[in-house]
Order: sequence, then C-alpha cells, then structure tokens
Amino acid sequence: MKTMINKVSVLTVLFLAFSFVATAQISKQKKANDDTEEWKYEIECVGIGKPGTKVIKVWSYSKNAKVATGQAKKNAVHGIIFQGYAGGGQGCTSQKPLANSPALEQEKAEFFKDFFADGGKYMKFVSTSGDAAPEVIGVKLKKYKYKVGVVVVVMSDNLRKDLEAAGIVRGLSSGF
Amino acid sequence: MKKVLLVCSLIILGTTLSFGQAKKPTLMVVPSDAWCIKNGYVMEFDNDGTVTKIPDYKKAMQENTDILLVISSINDMMAERGFPLKNLESAMKTLSSNAAEDNMRSSKESGAEVNESPIDALKKVAKADIIIQLTWTVNTTGPKKSITFILQGLDAYTDKQIAGANGTGAPSFSAEVPVLLKEAVTAHIDNFSASLQSHFDDMFANGREVIIRIQTWDSWDGDLESEDYGDDELGILIEDWMAANTVKGRFSTTDMTESMALFEQVRIPLFDEKGRAQDARRFASGLRKWLKEDPRLIESKLVMKGLGRATLILGEK
Repeated sequence: MKTMINKVSVLTVLFLAFSFVATAQISKQKKANDDTEEWKYEIECVGIGKPGTKVIKVWSYSKNAKVATGQAKKNAVHGIIFQGYAGGGQGCTSQKPLANSPALEQEKAEFFKDFFADGGKYMKFVSTSGDAAPEVIGVKLKKYKYKVGVVVVVMSDNLRKDLEAAGIVRGLSSGF
Repeated sequence: MKKVLLVCSLIILGTTLSFGQAKKPTLMVVPSDAWCIKNGYVMEFDNDGTVTKIPDYKKAMQENTDILLVISSINDMMAERGFPLKNLESAMKTLSSNAAEDNMRSSKESGAEVNESPIDALKKVAKADIIIQLTWTVNTTGPKKSITFILQGLDAYTDKQIAGANGTGAPSFSAEVPVLLKEAVTAHIDNFSASLQSHFDDMFANGREVIIRIQTWDSWDGDLESEDYGDDELGILIEDWMAANTVKGRFSTTDMTESMALFEQVRIPLFDEKGRAQDARRFASGLRKWLKEDPRLIESKLVMKGLGRATLILGEK
C-alpha cells in the first residue's frame, strides 16, 4: 500500500512539474505573440536578396532566448506587412510596408488572427538564413532578458500575391 | 423560376464585369535624355542655328545590352505584379512595320491609298500613358564601383511625376556592372510600384487627372468672351459645366483668353453615368454635346491624346 502511495505521489509531482513547465512555455509564447502585435521587435535590412525576396535581420525580445529566436519568423512577416524598414548598408533601400493603410491590421483583424496563429500561414513565406547563427544579446529591460537577432529571408512577392488574392491589399492591376 | 434567376444573375455579373473596370493606363520604360546624351545615343540637328540633341532610342537598343537588361528586368517584375509594360523596342519595331505596310497598302477596287493627315504622321511615335524614365550612372572610386539608379514614373499628359524610386547601391570591388544593375532594379522596384499604387489609389478615390484644352478655329465668328450663349461669358459657362461634371468640382483654369482656355488638374470620374469607363476624350465629348445644345449651338471638333488629354476646337468639325 505504502509503495502504491509513493508511486502516485511521484506521478503527481511529475505531472504537476510537466504542467508547470508547459504552462510557462505557453505563457512565454503568448507574451511573444503579444509583443509581435505591439511591435516589440526591430527590423534591419542586411542585403539585397534574390528578386522577390527580402533578406532582413529581426531583433526580438524575450526572457527566453529560444522563444525570441522562434518568434523571429513571425516578427519578420509582420514587419514586412505592416512596418517596412529603413535603408542601410549593403545597398539596402528603405522599403514601404505591403499594407496600403495604417489601419489594415484592425480592419482585417480576423484574417490576421488566423494568418499569424502559431504555425499559421505566415510560415509559408519565411525561412531562416543558414548563413548566420542567431545573435543573442543580454539586455537589462523590464520583462526582457535577451534581444535576439536572426537573419531571415521573406518571400515578399509571394506574400504580396497571397494578400492580394485574399483581398487584403490592393494589387497594381486592381480596378483595371 | 430557377432558370430566370440564373439568367438574371448572369446578366448582372456580365454587366458588372464589363462596366466595372477603369481604363488601364499603358506604361513603358524609356531611357532618360540625360542617360542617352551621356552615353552618346543622340541625334543632332540644327534648329535655326541652335544645335539640338534628341535621344536615339533605336541606337541605344541596338548597341547597349545593359539597357536591354534593365528594361527587361523592370518589365519582368511589373508583369509579375499583374501590370505588363509596353516594350520600347517592340513598340518602335511595330511603328516602322506599320508604316511600311501603310505605304504599300492600296484598295482592291480603285487602288486608293490609306488616308494620313500631317497630324496622323506626327502622332506615329512610341507612346504610353505613363513613361517610366530610367537613368543610371556608374560611380567609380578607385577599384570600387557602385550604381546610382533613378526611376521616375511620369504622367504623359499632366507632366507630373507620379511615382519614383532612387538611390545608390553598395560599392563593390568585384561585381560587374550588369550584376549591380540587376541588384539596383531588385532594390528599387518595390518602392516604385508602391508609389505607383498610391497614385492609382488616389485616382480611384478622386478621379483621373486630365487636361482639357479649348481652342477656336479662325473661321468661327464667336469667342470665349461672348455673352451670346447664355447669361454670362462663354468661358465662364464652360467653367460652370466643368465644376458640375468633375469629381468634387476639382479643376484649375490655368489660362483663359477670348480664343483659348486651358484646364489643368481636371479630376474626371472613372465611369460615366452609364457605368462605362471614361477617359479625357469621353469627358470632353460630354462638353462637346453640351456646347451643341440650344441655346449655344456651337459645333466643335474633338481631338484626343491618349487617356489624359483632350482638346475641343470650337467653330466647326
């Protein structure tokens, strides 16, 4: 009987520990998603890629460097759609966002909720560049420990075409 | 009943599809005068003692492969955005082959030749509604090379720059000029098409911007200052018509004399009252019909230039 109780106790502790870790992970991921929506990331151009692509470095913030690294792709696509970026070295020119209107994110909130869901369609238009390892910098900011820079390639032409087909942004030939 | 509904739906769909599209402007990439002169692709002629240089596009196309690469890259990228461009080289070839065909053509019965007025001959040039003017310079600092690249979208009728992108690429020790040029096009085309998109958005919201000119034949006994056509001078009556028929009454009277008037920044609706796509010619045709009505009874000739410019010459056809 005593052995049985011990076994149950160990299992309960393991279950609670697992639940705690999983909840913490979900909570960190949720925080990272909130940060994306609140524009808590930075984008810089790192070079001219192949036609139809954008090679950018995304700086994401988190308490957990792994979460920030994982969030980089989502932040990159979010930034290309809503933010654009300033020019820089390596022949980079400033890029306007794909969104024609500043209020687009609110106007099409339902679409973007699904689009940017974890593992959502945004994944189709972005890949990490194999050339550089993520750059992790410790920061002393409230709620954040790390600033992680990841170089990603966004298939901006395909992304634009997809948004045009879904009626989210207007294409050049719309209305003609 | 279902069949009736289906037929009605098809009719409505067909009507929407045929009348729901605005007239699409044509675009063409053309090297700038500055680029042509700098690279020696010019024709010189004596204009009353002043040597005038005009760009020789044909020579540029035949001798410079860089320009072909850049034009082809821009054409590709714009076609990929659903907006294929007219190709300058093809347009010039079509013009010359059309001219050769017209010269040889005669009717089967009487051997009559094709009519061509001096104005028709003058109009036979490669043209587009929006000209994408292209300039680049190769900058050299020691062994390093970089490209300064300028793209300008110019409205052929209003002379306004409606889109643009420019900048200097990263200097390179090893890259060849064509590679740098291709990179420059890739770097700038998104911004260029974004500014072109803003122009089209503005056009859909506020109407197409056109220029309307009024002129008079010297055989006409009336003038624009005459009060014989209503309760005010004819020029003022025409302005009233413009105010009533433009989008939000937007137009500027740039010039008005007894014999001519020039209206710029005229915002015309993209569709007429029947839902058909409208350009400057159709809009000016409305003014022509109004002038012909009682009590004005003024006959006029309507002359067009592309989507964005129309001239009415009052007095006769």
